Amino acid sequence: MNRISSSFSAEFDETNQEIVLSGKMRPQSPREMTGVIDVIQRSLDGSGRIIYLNVKRLTHLNMTAFNALADLLKIACRADPLRTIKVVTSSVIPWSAPLFETLASKEPNLSVDIYDSAFYPGQTFVEDESFIPILRTQTKMTWRHERDILPRHGLRDGLAVADICCGIGDFATLIRREFNPTRLVALDHSKKSLDYARRVAAEFGLNSIEYTYGDASQMLLADGQFDFVTCRHSLQIFDRPDVLLRELYRICKPGGRVYITNEKNSHCLGEPHAESIRWTYEQVAKLFSHFDMDVEMGPKSRRLLNDAGFDDIKVESFMVTNLDGDPRDFADIIEAWENVYAGQMAVRRGDPPEFIRRFRQGFKDHVLAALHPKGYAGWPIWAASGRKPY
Amino acid sequence: MIMTGQPALFRQTAFQGMAALVLDVGFFTSQFRLCDKIAEYLGDLVAQSHDDPARYANFSASLINEVIELAFRSVHSGDRVEFNLLKGDDSVYLRVGFRCSEEQLALLRTVDRSRGSTPFPEPARDLMALAHAVGVDVHTEIDRDDHITLTLEFVLSEGPR
Repeated sequence: MNRISSSFSAEFDETNQEIVLSGKMRPQSPREMTGVIDVIQRSLDGSGRIIYLNVKRLTHLNMTAFNALADLLKIACRADPLRTIKVVTSSVIPWSAPLFETLASKEPNLSVDIYDSAFYPGQTFVEDESFIPILRTQTKMTWRHERDILPRHGLRDGLAVADICCGIGDFATLIRREFNPTRLVALDHSKKSLDYARRVAAEFGLNSIEYTYGDASQMLLADGQFDFVTCRHSLQIFDRPDVLLRELYRICKPGGRVYITNEKNSHCLGEPHAESIRWTYEQVAKLFSHFDMDVEMGPKSRRLLNDAGFDDIKVESFMVTNLDGDPRDFADIIEAWENVYAGQMAVRRGDPPEFIRRFRQGFKDHVLAALHPKGYAGWPIWAASGRKPY
Repeated sequence: MIMTGQPALFRQTAFQGMAALVLDVGFFTSQFRLCDKIAEYLGDLVAQSHDDPARYANFSASLINEVIELAFRSVHSGDRVEFNLLKGDDSVYLRVGFRCSEEQLALLRTVDRSRGSTPFPEPARDLMALAHAVGVDVHTEIDRDDHITLTLEFVLSEGPR
């Protein structure tokens, strides 16, 4: 069951018994809600003992719409007191939980869950605070290349820029210094990362970066605001990159460009011990795939941008290597990958000790290649951008 | 939290004017989508000095939209709706003034008398319910026989983080 209107939608996921509302729901009259009400009503009619109403991606709601939803939920609660209806919201949308809680306070079988996880599959790994130092080092190493690449994709002084999935905000800081944007918004879903970003920006006296807590797949930013939108190493960890690209497209001005970077992990390389390194990174790609993430996405960038409606697409690749600055930096990155991929993700997948031992060995060999006086270690990245048509 | 009207509080000289907008109702009432656009625009202005402007703009615009919709549903053809954004030390105030019928005015007067209680009277019920839920103060002033000014107080150190 599915209903799409111009600005809001309702979908029922039968497997998860979840009704998902999204978009901007501000009708002039309840009549405009007919399609959505119909989806919800039919979903409730066919539901089991628990049904979820997910409003995490409902970014705007006027009281006309809220009252229509409230009336429907009240009737459903009273018609079947043994059925539980759980409204799932998040702290991203500031008014959402308090408003639905007023309703839940009156209906014993209606509850509100504030659920800030599962926005994307790798959230628990990526938003681990221990990852922060390594993210800084990664940006330091990629910036050496991207500082020259970005102008070829249209970034120049004096543009309105958004960095979506900004993490700890270090890339935004570099953009601020190097390209002097007229406006710079940096969005992420990790409050800890944003706190860190604000602290660092304050230390450097950079007070004009607007850091915002948000869900990249349903942002609170208005349409057509930015000349240049960046989203680095993030599409590959979303299970629905098309949804994220739709949002990047939406906030970009016509004629503006969206710039993305993604990896192809199985192409990480090193000498000596090339075979061990190759095997391990092929396993990395499979491991991410197990968690619905695609770290092989880099070369698919052209297709993804094309499918999202962009034109004038540009794609290039670059290799971060141990010869870029201090090789210890690259070795630190690889060791952090080993800790997360072998130490956490493989364990969570339930891999046997023998697999994990061999898996770790490839990372250790990659570190050796990075630090060896005659060694070479590489990490390939694809940078791509597309223009939003006028 | 709901508060009663305090007309003396809003002598505009005590506050710094941020923006003023006057809309002709004839145009306004034929374009419901304007409620949305004006709410977003004013929400952006309110949120300017918050440390997360995008989220605070969404938060404030949700309330501003209800005030505008209330005005939209209340005003007479040929009238005007006046918007004033004022900045105090810790808060930004949005004042929305419009003329409305005696019956509506009588109902809106009861808002002042129903401090902190629910259910709220029509036609302000929705606005008050939302304000109550999210903890924003709404002041009402009936400043002429047929004119009301609603003021939303956004405390910038509060609200979403």
